[in-house]
Amino acid sequence: MFKLLNGPQTLGESRVFWISFLLVVSVAMLYPAAADAYDVGNVAYLLTWTFMAMGLCLVWGYGGMLSFGQTLFFGVAGYAYAVVATNFGGDAGTTFLALIIALLLACTVAAVLGYFMIWGRVNGVFFGIVTLSATLVLSFFLGQTAGPEWRIGSARLNGFNGMKDMPALNVPWAGGEPLTFEGVPLYYLVLVLVLVVYLGLRVLLNSRFGNVIVAMREDPQRAELLGYDVRKFQLATFVIGSGLAGLSGVLYTSWGQFITPASIGLPAAAMPIIWVAFSGRSDITATLVGSFIVLWVFQVLTVYSQQAALLLMGAMLLCTVIVAPQGFVIGLVQGMRRLMVKGAAPGAPAEGEITA
Amino acid sequence: MIAEIFSFFYQFADVFAFLILSAAGLAIVFGMMGVINMAHGEFIMCGAYVTVGLVHAGFPLPLAQLCGALAAGLIGVVVEWTLVRKLYKRPLDSLLATWGLSLVVTQGMLLVFGSSVAGIGTPEGSFMLGEYSFSVYRMVLFVAALGVLAGIYLVFMRTRFGVHARATMQNAAIAQATGVRVNRVYALSFGIGAGLAGFCGALYAPTMTLIPTMGAAFLVESFVTVVVGGANVLLGTAPAGILLAVIRTALNGWGGQIVGQIGMLLAVILVIRVLPEGMSGWFARRSR
Amino acid sequence: MTVLLETRQLSKRFGGHAAVSNVDLSVSAGEIHCLIGPNGAGKSTLFKLIVGLHSASSGQVTFQGADVTRHQPFERVKLGMSIKMQAPGVFKELPVRQNLRIALQHHVRPSELTAEEDRLLELLGLTADAARPAGVLAHGQQQWLEIGMALALKPALLLMDEPTAGLSPEETYITGELMKKLNSEGMTVLVVEHDMAFIRQIAQQVTVLHFGEVFARGTIGEVIADARVAEIYLGKTRDH
Repeated sequence: MFKLLNGPQTLGESRVFWISFLLVVSVAMLYPAAADAYDVGNVAYLLTWTFMAMGLCLVWGYGGMLSFGQTLFFGVAGYAYAVVATNFGGDAGTTFLALIIALLLACTVAAVLGYFMIWGRVNGVFFGIVTLSATLVLSFFLGQTAGPEWRIGSARLNGFNGMKDMPALNVPWAGGEPLTFEGVPLYYLVLVLVLVVYLGLRVLLNSRFGNVIVAMREDPQRAELLGYDVRKFQLATFVIGSGLAGLSGVLYTSWGQFITPASIGLPAAAMPIIWVAFSGRSDITATLVGSFIVLWVFQVLTVYSQQAALLLMGAMLLCTVIVAPQGFVIGLVQGMRRLMVKGAAPGAPAEGEITA
Repeated sequence: MIAEIFSFFYQFADVFAFLILSAAGLAIVFGMMGVINMAHGEFIMCGAYVTVGLVHAGFPLPLAQLCGALAAGLIGVVVEWTLVRKLYKRPLDSLLATWGLSLVVTQGMLLVFGSSVAGIGTPEGSFMLGEYSFSVYRMVLFVAALGVLAGIYLVFMRTRFGVHARATMQNAAIAQATGVRVNRVYALSFGIGAGLAGFCGALYAPTMTLIPTMGAAFLVESFVTVVVGGANVLLGTAPAGILLAVIRTALNGWGGQIVGQIGMLLAVILVIRVLPEGMSGWFARRSR
Repeated sequence: MTVLLETRQLSKRFGGHAAVSNVDLSVSAGEIHCLIGPNGAGKSTLFKLIVGLHSASSGQVTFQGADVTRHQPFERVKLGMSIKMQAPGVFKELPVRQNLRIALQHHVRPSELTAEEDRLLELLGLTADAARPAGVLAHGQQQWLEIGMALALKPALLLMDEPTAGLSPEETYITGELMKKLNSEGMTVLVVEHDMAFIRQIAQQVTVLHFGEVFARGTIGEVIADARVAEIYLGKTRDH
């Protein structure tokens, strides 16, 4: 299985890459010792969005399906967590039960919507329009749930104001007090999850499954004529990618102890598209690195002016489509590689060229 | 009794006008070039802002509205020439690029103009039927929507430009080979689409608060109408407008505005699944 | 000889137009069967019906004894068909080696994949291009790559729609020899073709379609000698 960490579907497979990777991970592990709690919590916050980005990379970049539904599943899971955690209180691991229920719900909704679209041969731009419409339906619906009659159990949905003060993720811990995942503990939890998801996706993408989904992205009919039920692969891809968005939703809700319809509708729904398009949707590493950078820049700018931050996002999307449709991070990597090939001895294989 | 019937017709006409006026420009651009213009709302906003600005400067309302439409149309031609032209045959990329443009424009306007600008009041004038009072201006909008449909019919069916445009829509390469200046057709069509959007904004400016994000209020409706209608403006947008206006009026009456919007979005989802080419595709196939 | 593929009264109507009418076709195991006919005869439509890309208006398709009339294409492939459509269907953005891998991974173990890919690359003469995107290959090489992918499925029945389209006469001849070699090793082949030289090179059994119906059938010798067949192609009888 570890052999599959490298393969035809992922960039970065040389020894240099993996050594750098281990360096980055080590630095990340030691970071809380050197930084103050606020910054650590902030980095954890930024990292929670990367699951949604990686999920979209899987669905769009590798699977060829443009889904505007990432925030839909973000919202479904976030609200589900809020409802379950509020209803069952916050101790003895019920919050992790809430997490599991939320993820299952997000995946179920994805399976239903995905089945409807994929078996209905909805593809291309229309896939995007249907997922966007579904996302807007949820956002509009939740926005008008302000009245007291809109409740699930003891949890009121609260319309535009959203839900808040639900218990954060916590586990029973030695010494009586449960360990609440905020600040440094949350940072480590999210970091571990990011590593597991990233490496897991690398393995998945380089496996037979990955070979099939890139083939079906290129030419679905040809993939089918090679004996693959393309619809099932597309559905699996869609559910996994959407489930990852749900993971972002739960972690976000737990981190801030709130969730509102604003996280679901526009312009929130456009954000994952911008991160992934800008980074380079056809590679998982580019998406992870690029999205983190974009999220960080966006956060820095929002402090000064939210309009300026959103304007920059719009400009980035525009530039990406016109100038570097394959993504700027990927463009950068390819540019560097070309420089390195020029420097290498003639006849030596270019770094990263597909080898068996 | 007559008042009741007219009241329903009035509500229907109100929604119908809204759908047609907001969708007409988008339908032309989509039908002609396969481009999904996510910045459509911003052309509407442009028309509205120019109109209001000119009225404040002393122009009479109808003239200001015409200028608003014209301004949007001219900007549309520029946008086509600089951006959209590179994105034909790339529907996904045109959707993303115009979405980026939309963000840039709305946020830019928010930075420059702040969130709201003093508007203008709705022209007064109402008439009574039975116990109900109806606004004259709303009926003007309905007449304007019919006028837009008639205008589109005349331009695309009865002028030389229209013939060229329809030829380009069918097969651009062959049209070009017969001497049609395809680039000019595209630029003009996008300009017409943007101008119609501006016209929509200009017409509705007296009835709304002016904020840079006001285009968003039209976007869902216009999208739904275009998708349900299909690529052919005359064969699709008009019947879609009728059908959706009926549905929307009924839903509004039953559950309010939000239910109406949700209903429209669900209609999009269903239509894409069941009638991928919209109503115009269905009509076209039936006539074969 | 066992019948591998059979169609019974197979028909396809588009609106009011009958593209294929009541076609009975029979392909026995181990033979090379060619489907020919003038343009518009319905050959491609019939091919798509057999393969599953069109659904039949009426009639039946049987493969390896199973009724596959309502089967999706991938189900038919799993039963033992391997299909090459007319337009080059390689994955243009993916490397050549990857193209083969996707076909091979069905029944080759991961540890043996690379060796199998190398073997096929050698057979197709594409070893030097293994890492390049398939789209940069010359047209003829793309056709061969696609044939290679079709072969990688180790099918019971190889179906091809105009495999020599765009190939030079030399390439056509080599393709024909490859077909004969595979056939001698037991593979059954059904080919839709236009190129009479190619057909004469490889065909054993021939079915002629005209206006969507079976016009003639028999061995290659019988069909070539049939004056009526010449007439539908050339528009006049040989006696003139």
